[in-house]
Amino acid sequence: MIELTIYGRGGRGGVTLAKLIATTYFLRGKHVQAFGVYGAERSGAPIQAYMRADDEEITNHNQIQEPDHVIVVEQTLLGPHVLSGLKPDGWIIINTHEAPESFAESLPGRRVATVDANAIAVAHGLGTKTVPIVNTALLGAAGKLLELEFADVEAALAEMKFGGANVTVAREAYDAVVGQRLAGKAQPSKQRAANGPVVGILDEEVGGMPVIRTGTWASRRPSRHELMPACNDGCPAGNDVRGFVQAVAQRKDYDAALAIILKTSPFPGICGRVCPAPCMEACNRRAHDEPVNVRDIERYISDHAVWPQPTRPTRNERVAVVGSGPAGLSATYHLARLGYHVTLLEAGDEIGGVMRTGIPSYRLPRHVLDHEISFILRHGVEAKTRQHVDRAALLKLTNEYAAVFVATGLQELRSLNLGNLAADMVMQGIDFLDQARRGHVHLTGQRVVVLGGGNTAMDAARTALRVGARNVRVVYRRTRAEMPAIAEEIDEALEERIQLDELVAPLRLHNNATGTVLTCQRMKLGEPDESGRRRPVPLESEDAIFEIECDKVLLALGQSGDLSILPEGSDVRHGEQLLGLTAAPVFAGGDFATNAGTVTAAIGSGRRAALHIHKTLTDEDLFPPPPAPVAGPEAIRMHVFSHQPREKPAIIPAEVRRGSFTEVRLGLIDEPGHEAAYEEALRCFSCGVCNECDRCLTYCPEGVMLHDGDCRYSFNFDYCKGCGICASQCPRGVVFMQEL
Amino acid sequence: MARTLVTGNHAAGAALALAGEANRDARGCCAGAYPITPQTEIIEYLRAFNFTKGHIVPVESEHSAMGVCIGAALAGARSFTASSSNGLAYMNENVFAAGYYRLPIVMIAVNRTLGPPWNIWVDQGDSLSLRDAAWTQFYCESHQDLVDTILVAFRMSEDHRVLLPALVAEDGFILSHTQMAVDIPAQDLVEKYLPKLNLPHQLDFEHAATVGGLTWPRETEKHRREIQSAMENVPAVLNEALDEFAAVFGRRPDGAFTAEYTEDAETVLVACNTMARTLRRVVKDRRERGEKVGMVKVKLFRPFLRDAFIHAIGSAKRVGVLDRNHSPGSGGIFWGEIATTLRQRPDVLLQDYLVGLGGGDVTPQIIEEILDDLKQRKQAEEPVWKEVAA
Amino acid sequence: MSTATSDTPTNTFVRCDGILRPGNTNCAGCGMSLGLQFLEQGLDGEKPTLCIPACCGIVTAGQFPTSAYGVPTVATTFASSPAVATGVSVVRRLNQEPNPTVCWTGDGGTYDIGMATLSAAAERNEDIIYVCYDNEIYGNTGGQRSSATPLGVRTTTTAAGKTERKKDIMGIMAAHRVPYAATLSVAHRDDFLRKIRTARRTRGFRFLLLLSPCPTGWKSEPTESVDLIRAAVGCGLFPIYEVFDGVRYRINIRPDGTPLAEYLDGQRRYHSKTIDRDEIRAEIRAQWAFLEGMEKAFPAGKDEGNPA
Repeated sequence: MIELTIYGRGGRGGVTLAKLIATTYFLRGKHVQAFGVYGAERSGAPIQAYMRADDEEITNHNQIQEPDHVIVVEQTLLGPHVLSGLKPDGWIIINTHEAPESFAESLPGRRVATVDANAIAVAHGLGTKTVPIVNTALLGAAGKLLELEFADVEAALAEMKFGGANVTVAREAYDAVVGQRLAGKAQPSKQRAANGPVVGILDEEVGGMPVIRTGTWASRRPSRHELMPACNDGCPAGNDVRGFVQAVAQRKDYDAALAIILKTSPFPGICGRVCPAPCMEACNRRAHDEPVNVRDIERYISDHAVWPQPTRPTRNERVAVVGSGPAGLSATYHLARLGYHVTLLEAGDEIGGVMRTGIPSYRLPRHVLDHEISFILRHGVEAKTRQHVDRAALLKLTNEYAAVFVATGLQELRSLNLGNLAADMVMQGIDFLDQARRGHVHLTGQRVVVLGGGNTAMDAARTALRVGARNVRVVYRRTRAEMPAIAEEIDEALEERIQLDELVAPLRLHNNATGTVLTCQRMKLGEPDESGRRRPVPLESEDAIFEIECDKVLLALGQSGDLSILPEGSDVRHGEQLLGLTAAPVFAGGDFATNAGTVTAAIGSGRRAALHIHKTLTDEDLFPPPPAPVAGPEAIRMHVFSHQPREKPAIIPAEVRRGSFTEVRLGLIDEPGHEAAYEEALRCFSCGVCNECDRCLTYCPEGVMLHDGDCRYSFNFDYCKGCGICASQCPRGVVFMQEL
Repeated sequence: MARTLVTGNHAAGAALALAGEANRDARGCCAGAYPITPQTEIIEYLRAFNFTKGHIVPVESEHSAMGVCIGAALAGARSFTASSSNGLAYMNENVFAAGYYRLPIVMIAVNRTLGPPWNIWVDQGDSLSLRDAAWTQFYCESHQDLVDTILVAFRMSEDHRVLLPALVAEDGFILSHTQMAVDIPAQDLVEKYLPKLNLPHQLDFEHAATVGGLTWPRETEKHRREIQSAMENVPAVLNEALDEFAAVFGRRPDGAFTAEYTEDAETVLVACNTMARTLRRVVKDRRERGEKVGMVKVKLFRPFLRDAFIHAIGSAKRVGVLDRNHSPGSGGIFWGEIATTLRQRPDVLLQDYLVGLGGGDVTPQIIEEILDDLKQRKQAEEPVWKEVAA
Repeated sequence: MSTATSDTPTNTFVRCDGILRPGNTNCAGCGMSLGLQFLEQGLDGEKPTLCIPACCGIVTAGQFPTSAYGVPTVATTFASSPAVATGVSVVRRLNQEPNPTVCWTGDGGTYDIGMATLSAAAERNEDIIYVCYDNEIYGNTGGQRSSATPLGVRTTTTAAGKTERKKDIMGIMAAHRVPYAATLSVAHRDDFLRKIRTARRTRGFRFLLLLSPCPTGWKSEPTESVDLIRAAVGCGLFPIYEVFDGVRYRINIRPDGTPLAEYLDGQRRYHSKTIDRDEIRAEIRAQWAFLEGMEKAFPAGKDEGNPA
């Protein structure tokens, strides 16, 4: 008689395996018996199945106490009990990817055979990856070790109507199983542990919790991780956007929110007004209804929170920063916070760079700009205006300071030859904006044409209106879709009745009978150029050429950096860094080095420069660690969230605002019982980062999760069955399942 | 002989289906079926079977399962069902009704402990609780025994000298869910064995009658005596059924009692179902060591054939009963029957052993201990509790 | 009997709180387990008496002498839970004990074998919270059909697909004019908890029905259990609504355009030629026409129950 014990899991084919093996013997004329031991087990619970085969009729119906061999259907079922009663020469056949030698410590002296039945079954589509059905594979493996012909195995499969992949799988396992007697002395096989003491119904100590460690059922475990929120990933300044929005959403803590922003950016009020908001572009909520209005939340925080006290320098080293635009000021701020003495050198007569000269006050009020600059300078910064730094001066700086950061922006303004009249009538938009803000230029009654499609073009056009222009047209050689200006700026300009001439290129200015006109060429879009945008080509038709009456032409055609400041042979590397050709390290950043074109990018650039400088001077690396994968829309379970339109920020009507430099956008306005920024912040999904919504915990069918600290959750793996519902219900990609 | 490897339930289902299908040229078959562990595979088999003239109704309770069987049988169809444990208990009223209606229904009782507290393992208490319901009761020890007995039960029950329903019991899990080899007869042979069902009191438009209406005590007395007469016809009819079975299928199933090694046995143990198989191994072993021990396997419990039992124990002086059942306030139920029977043999020391209640695994070791106890006993006592589950 | 493995000492008993304790033998991803978690959350710490007939729910308890239930629980015979609960609740009332008596039953015990007992308890307006966790089969015995099994579904006793429609148990309960009847979704926790609280505050017979995902019986992934119910609700197949006194209706969640396929595709029991998806969609439409009509004709009052 041969007796086999099978250790399996409920609902996964362990009893069928016993029946299959029995069938192989039955077809060879033996008497056989196959059965399972049943209890309250459910899917996944450990069970035993038994098989007997004999030449004589089998009349023994008791459970098998001393098996000739055992089969362990899943490696997680291995334990000392497997040896119970096993005869000394018995095989222990284990479904595992490991080799028999791996069990030398746990099963010394035993004959151990292994086969990766999971892999074989999954490869042929039997069961699922979570629950592969391995019994037909194990039949093959057992058949080999029991010295059956594969034909016997095949016949059993056919008899029990297991066709298709089952035969392939059995064959693969039959061939793949390896076994050997392990070294060492076999431990005496213990009898299977008896059940606990008998407790009578009226005995006192009854009714406690069953100590069935259902954690042994699991083939996967939940785990938690953080992903990079899409908004954070999109922010060129490296702001923890999710962080400051959630500080408002979770605790209405505007001060904490401000502190989060100030870790990376000193310009919440500025960015909250002028940033193109790539964070909002990336915001996953966009796929659900509308993106979270991060920009106005940031503005609100800046306007309402209590700003902290500036810190004072603590180190000896002094660092020079050339250029007081956003990159220079950002570097200044971060260096000062790291404790350095910073000297800020500005060629112009006011600190602020293009934020002051190039962005009109109806977009960025002066008091906001001044407040945030002042905050930076009060960190013990020495600021000097009217300090033009050329190459020689730069080299001198490298002898006087421990490090130098060059962020002189884009001094070179692209121009266009419009003919002889240009000198009087044509002005660079950037220069115009600077003049206008000082009150030095009026265009009363003039017809103004602005050439260009970026923010400078929009600023120039809208400023022209405000300094008296009769009408303003923006002429752009591609379409609106290709204009790099912020969409809202274009919208607001159009609302202010600025006309947009798309697919028009300027040719030349000249006088005709009525006055000065700008001759223009209608264009169409052809093949893409090196920037990837479709190249405009002239339209060939009779009315392709036409004339615009104008009194003034403003150019906003793009800018580039004046690299003459840099020493000969130097190069801007990685967009931001120079070779150490000088006594002290020199770094470059902002538009000067990257031409990125936004305040926010410049902030990031300045901060990285500060961290580079700090690392060079101290060897301390304060750069953020490599980011986690980004939580895109596929990581978010949108269905959990109801639809909620964004809070509408207030704006001054076009007819009123076009005549003055008062701030056009008023941001989120509170009403009694309605905190606007808070309501908007509630729309944030907190992508990829836990915000303690407790969904995972409340949807756990076993109740084995604990919320035991700030964003700290624990799982009781003694009982977790690995069902994966916590992972399926986490709306933001934090909880996930790991294979064991 | 075509042997296949199937579970006990599959074998039972197959036998019922064969019998049902065999009536397709008469009034067909119909059954009510309701699932309960460990019987479910029987009703799943029946529901999946493609009867030529038959239908299995998936009812909402066991009480209704037997209700359907009663209606079907009275309408003249062959009827059958299966249940266990509390399902049999829930069915109780209608089980009595089926007996009192004199309907040849065959029911498989997959023996399982009654509860609460819930217990899914084997115990004969469930089928024995129906012993007064006017059904014959058979207890089977193997897959083959089960298949053969089911067919014999139909044959015997439908005989006009009997016309009583038959309960055929198999051990839950030990037989029901265990795969072993069995010969499932061919349909044509079954039809040779089972004549078409012809119920004398079938509902009839020509001779309209009310079945089971209000009766005076005098008629009830007569009714009960008729039932008892039917029971008294069982030995003869059963014998014929077994002989005929041998003629058709080439083997003769066991009769009411099977006496083994009893010719000169001094000590005899009595058991049924798979425990009888374990007992047989022990007895065989002890015989080989020269001990004069024997065994009696009980196959037919109702009617309890007292004379046959007396004959079976031969000249033994000690009789031990292995009861996997218990009637609170008395003792094992087989023991109760045997005690009544052995009033003719006051010289026998009769001892009851309550063993395997609630489904404990009764090993040869335990039976050895019982045998030893019986052999050295000075006198009989109240039933001995031989607890198995540690 | 299940033999202990060597790392599960069966002679240590640890008491702990909660209705359903960890270490129970329910399948991973069991809808009934989640239902019990929500029941506990909704009862806000109050301990009920549970009356549980033969079904998965009582097997959950595990084997004597331990129990996975942390509250007093009676294992009743299959058809009896409403009757047993009646007895318990009457004595509670006589002794002014406020704790609720809860029947926790599967569909077999509710729609089939216990129907008469259920009807009687409802007709007498017994002070019971009756919860049916409906997995549309006799799950405990291996997946046979019940009258809660939907049309066309294959079970172990309906190999060619069930030929009868699913019984309308909510309609039956409404016809008994019970004070409160509601359907519950394990994918909509807040609505579920609100209804437990509403039931808790109502006197008389309260009937709660939840569609209980059963990975073993439905042949679905445990991890998808909650999302399958969300799809069932979203496509309108399992409407979420309340009925007050059997006549006034309030629809809580309307279908949101989720395709029926999102519910059916995740369950192998629905991968069968016996399933007619168009027929199911027609049923859904008819069902909703009825509900919308009832709500319109007999709306619940604004303050009935515990509106969100």
